[in-house]
Amino acid sequence: MTMIEIEGLRKEYRRVRGGRTIAVDRLDLSVPEGGVFGFLGPNGAGKTTTIRCLLGLVRPSAGRLSLLGADVGHALPSVIGRVGSIVEAPAMFPRFSGRRNLEILAKIHGEGDAAIDASLERVGLRDRAKDPVRAYSLGMKQRLAIAATLLRDPSLLILDEPANGLDPAGIVEVRELLRSLGAEGRTIFVSSHILSEVQQTADRVAIVAKGRLIKAGPVNEVLATTGSRGVIVKLGDLEAGRRALADGEIPATIEAGAIRADVAADESERISRTLAQAGLYVTELRPDTVDLETVFLELTKDQGVGD
Amino acid sequence: MRLLRSEFLRARSRRVVPMLVVGGLIGIVIGLGIAAFYAHKPSAAQVASAQAQFQADYQRCLSGKYVGVNQAIDARYSSIEDVCSSAVTPDLDAIMLRDVEQILQHTATFVILLGALLGASLGGADWTSDTMGTLLTWEPRRVRVFLTRALAVGLFAIAITLFLQLAFAVVFWLVTALRGVTTFLPPHLFGDTLATMLRVSAMATAFALVAYVLAMIGRSTVSSLGVLFGYLILFEGVIAGFRQSVEGSLFVRAAIVVISREPILTEPRGFSGPGVPEPIVVMDVTKAWVVVVIYVLVLGAVSLVQFQRRDVT
Repeated sequence: MTMIEIEGLRKEYRRVRGGRTIAVDRLDLSVPEGGVFGFLGPNGAGKTTTIRCLLGLVRPSAGRLSLLGADVGHALPSVIGRVGSIVEAPAMFPRFSGRRNLEILAKIHGEGDAAIDASLERVGLRDRAKDPVRAYSLGMKQRLAIAATLLRDPSLLILDEPANGLDPAGIVEVRELLRSLGAEGRTIFVSSHILSEVQQTADRVAIVAKGRLIKAGPVNEVLATTGSRGVIVKLGDLEAGRRALADGEIPATIEAGAIRADVAADESERISRTLAQAGLYVTELRPDTVDLETVFLELTKDQGVGD
Repeated sequence: MRLLRSEFLRARSRRVVPMLVVGGLIGIVIGLGIAAFYAHKPSAAQVASAQAQFQADYQRCLSGKYVGVNQAIDARYSSIEDVCSSAVTPDLDAIMLRDVEQILQHTATFVILLGALLGASLGGADWTSDTMGTLLTWEPRRVRVFLTRALAVGLFAIAITLFLQLAFAVVFWLVTALRGVTTFLPPHLFGDTLATMLRVSAMATAFALVAYVLAMIGRSTVSSLGVLFGYLILFEGVIAGFRQSVEGSLFVRAAIVVISREPILTEPRGFSGPGVPEPIVVMDVTKAWVVVVIYVLVLGAVSLVQFQRRDVT
């Protein structure tokens, strides 16, 4: 089953002083059931606008969106009970306790105290449930917002920048929570501009820039977009090492105080043996891994991201 | 029904609700406490003398003295007894329980302001806290959200304003029992007082709903109160004063007519015949109710349409 289907989404905003801003431009996206789906892009890429359109908060200028097979324009109420969501910063009444905030939401769908307790327990906030939300740290507010999404036991979670503004411990907490929720069979659609963070949790990703889809697919496929990066070798005499590798028919170049051998990572043993036979001993030997950030920058270099 | 329960819990949890109730109670106690402090309980002889005078005046009134021979009774009254109960008052310098209905009419302004404050606060809170988006991701049917919240605002306004008026009446009764006079009561005092309370609460609810729909349009409590009071003061208070032709369409005038049950009358222009000219009714009680309902419904419809169509960002 496709959990999210977006076809030709376009959203324009009129500027107060005239003219228009295109936030999302002919975006197509399909999110399959299960796992964590990363929706990546820099600030201003149109991620939040897309999520707002999906949740019926913002009316698209053009395009078709569906959630859990239901058309967002007409049938959103029929599936909203199975969707948990956080849009941008977690918005709660600051003077109410965390529990009271959840009670107000829980009553809308007839959820009782048991569901509230379970949600608070799940995010580790049960002990602080009676404190006013204004006394919560940003991480606690984020966890409370996640607790709110869990009240309905959703099959789809849409989270907009859940790690935004969190300290490293908070990021780890949210990461672990997302992993465990994904492992339960729920589909997690998480937007983020922190690419390294998503790389650690997502199974599939879509990269957007300037409102357009740049690349989508399983993380490994997207990472492979830029091709193999080779193996990094460090040793005392770099030039001697490069010559030895060339004699062994291993193409190599010297870059940034190291040798980069243009072979697959599983050829490390051959590199080590070739150098040892030439009387050279490596101090470091590792695959030249590519991360989402690198892929993202390469994919978006023609889009003018960051201009 | 679930959404209404949620709205009740949300409204009940707002600080403004206990603040208004407690503030209102404190105001009642302080106001009537000051009145009690400066009042003096008349002696039994003073009361007896006033009673005798009152009975005599009342009998004279029943004989038609005050309405005049063959003159029709004002439409506000159902009988000559009603006329006399209103027209004849005891000549006694004291706080009297019989005045409670009149005092409630005079304090209606505060009750209505309280209603407006409540409506603006309950309507604007979600926008100020940015929680409207959260709410709509739980209940995307905006018409339902709008109408349910309006119902909650209305019910809260009625309940709180009625409670405070009842509290006022009880404290006033205590003050008159201790420091004033509880005799000379007109025959329908209880019913009339209750009816006045209901009319005042109805008008407070109308103002609460108007403030609520303005808060939904302006997306904040402050904008709602600013627009409401700006309109009431600048337009209805100043500009409308220069154009009497619009007087029959004004919100505040209509609320006053509903509460006091006294129509707005005006002298006919260019009257030159003999005798007293028959006054023209600018706004009677029925029209006043219609004007109030139209204000609430029209503003409500505008607010609902824009809430339905505008993006929540």
